[in-house]
Amino acid sequence: MPARILVIEDNPSNLELVRYLLDVHGYPTLTATSGEEGLHQFHSAHPDLVLCDLRLPIRDGYEVLSEIRKDPARGNTIVIAVTAFSMPGDRAKATAAGFDGYVPKPIDPTSFVQQIEAFVRPDMRASRPDSDS
Amino acid sequence: MQNDNELIESRFREVLESMPDGIVMVNQIGHIVFVNAQAGKLFGYDPKELCGKPVELLLPAKFRGAHIGQRSRYHGQPRPRALDSGLDLFGQRKDGSEFPVEIALSPLQVEDAVFVISVIRDIGERKRFEKELQEKNTELANLNQAKDRFLASMSHELRTPLNAIIGFTGILLMKLPGPLTPDQDKQLRTVQASGKHLLALIDDLLDVARVGAGKVDLHFESFDCKALIDDVAASLRPQAESKGLELSVDAPGGEITVRSDRRALSQIVINLANNAIKFTERGRVRITVDKRPAEGKHVVEVGVHDTGVGIKPADQAKLFKAFTRVNMTNPKAPEGTGLGLHLSQKLAELLGGAITLKSEYGRGSTFTLILPER
Repeated sequence: MPARILVIEDNPSNLELVRYLLDVHGYPTLTATSGEEGLHQFHSAHPDLVLCDLRLPIRDGYEVLSEIRKDPARGNTIVIAVTAFSMPGDRAKATAAGFDGYVPKPIDPTSFVQQIEAFVRPDMRASRPDSDS
Repeated sequence: MQNDNELIESRFREVLESMPDGIVMVNQIGHIVFVNAQAGKLFGYDPKELCGKPVELLLPAKFRGAHIGQRSRYHGQPRPRALDSGLDLFGQRKDGSEFPVEIALSPLQVEDAVFVISVIRDIGERKRFEKELQEKNTELANLNQAKDRFLASMSHELRTPLNAIIGFTGILLMKLPGPLTPDQDKQLRTVQASGKHLLALIDDLLDVARVGAGKVDLHFESFDCKALIDDVAASLRPQAESKGLELSVDAPGGEITVRSDRRALSQIVINLANNAIKFTERGRVRITVDKRPAEGKHVVEVGVHDTGVGIKPADQAKLFKAFTRVNMTNPKAPEGTGLGLHLSQKLAELLGGAITLKSEYGRGSTFTLILPER
């Protein structure tokens, strides 16, 4: 069974971009457009991996991460920051906060899923689609 | 009392009146025996009014009690105290208003009597300046923070839509949604190249803004400059070879230690070598690393030599200005942001160095980064 991935992203175009890429590569996704909704999804649907934007309305990515980490059963779920904060020091800041990975925007669609897959347990990886690029 | 007054008046009036600061003299029991005109003006009294009065009259009421004790202790062990004692002292004018003062004290023996001479300076204006300066500093720090926040937000806001543009264009070019006609493929590649160009522009602009705002963190350490340049050359070699160009590094002296910032130095050399590859169609790009004496010290010179188009003398002067691209009229001119050389020169300056240029139009160019050895 491929990993189920929760994508928390407030920008609809960017949410669709990531959702489409994951879907095409065989990963079922759950989506949320706010931190609040993302946490609700996390607690009710138990995704295997979370991709989280950092700038989100009301509760930002850092708050979402710290709420996830408090969960007694699933606090160690892999959470990857996917963010347009990509100035020097932003990666270190995300890592220091406890994100397992950091992918700066704009993402590279040719390698994005591989970057994410590196965090997925081998038995939960999807088979690759046919692509001539 | 009357005697004290006369004694001081006769001996010192002239010299004390000529002093620019306020002078108040008191006798052993703390009574004023002399006030010069300056001090009179400072406190709003006619000097004559004050003679014979306790000196505490010139202090705000809340300090008077303590002052009597301090004054008698001072008389027991008098020693000079300078104006800038660091104490927060206040005087009180005849109209009751308070003002900050600095007071220097010295004992003065005249015949059998010991007097204390106090030099008093109104520092109200200086205090106001200090406060203003402090406020200005806080304001500057706030502005600086606002600028940081602005840069971070701008970077974030510009990247967010670019993510969708570059991302979906890439998806279409990967043919994930379906096949493309040759025209669609070509046009989407134009969208992709433009998107990436815009991204490069944003990155370079932010770099320029950061350098301009002094926000570049430099970490100076000693390292082998030759090794760093070998690494840069290795990363750019595929690009050079894809154009049929040879890319070489020559360091006649072998290892050359510099004390500099690795990241900034790499960025400069990558920029210069990238340009050399971009603007050379035939021949080679050679990077030289050498050390030579200059003004009693040594400088390290990193030269990037190409056999490319070269730069006209008229264009050479404006080359390092932001957004300058000298081949704009040539439709086949390689893509660029016009910020690379500007940024490189600024970074070189931060490293204590400079970039110079020698070029012959049509024959090639040599950009030389000159760095202090230590």
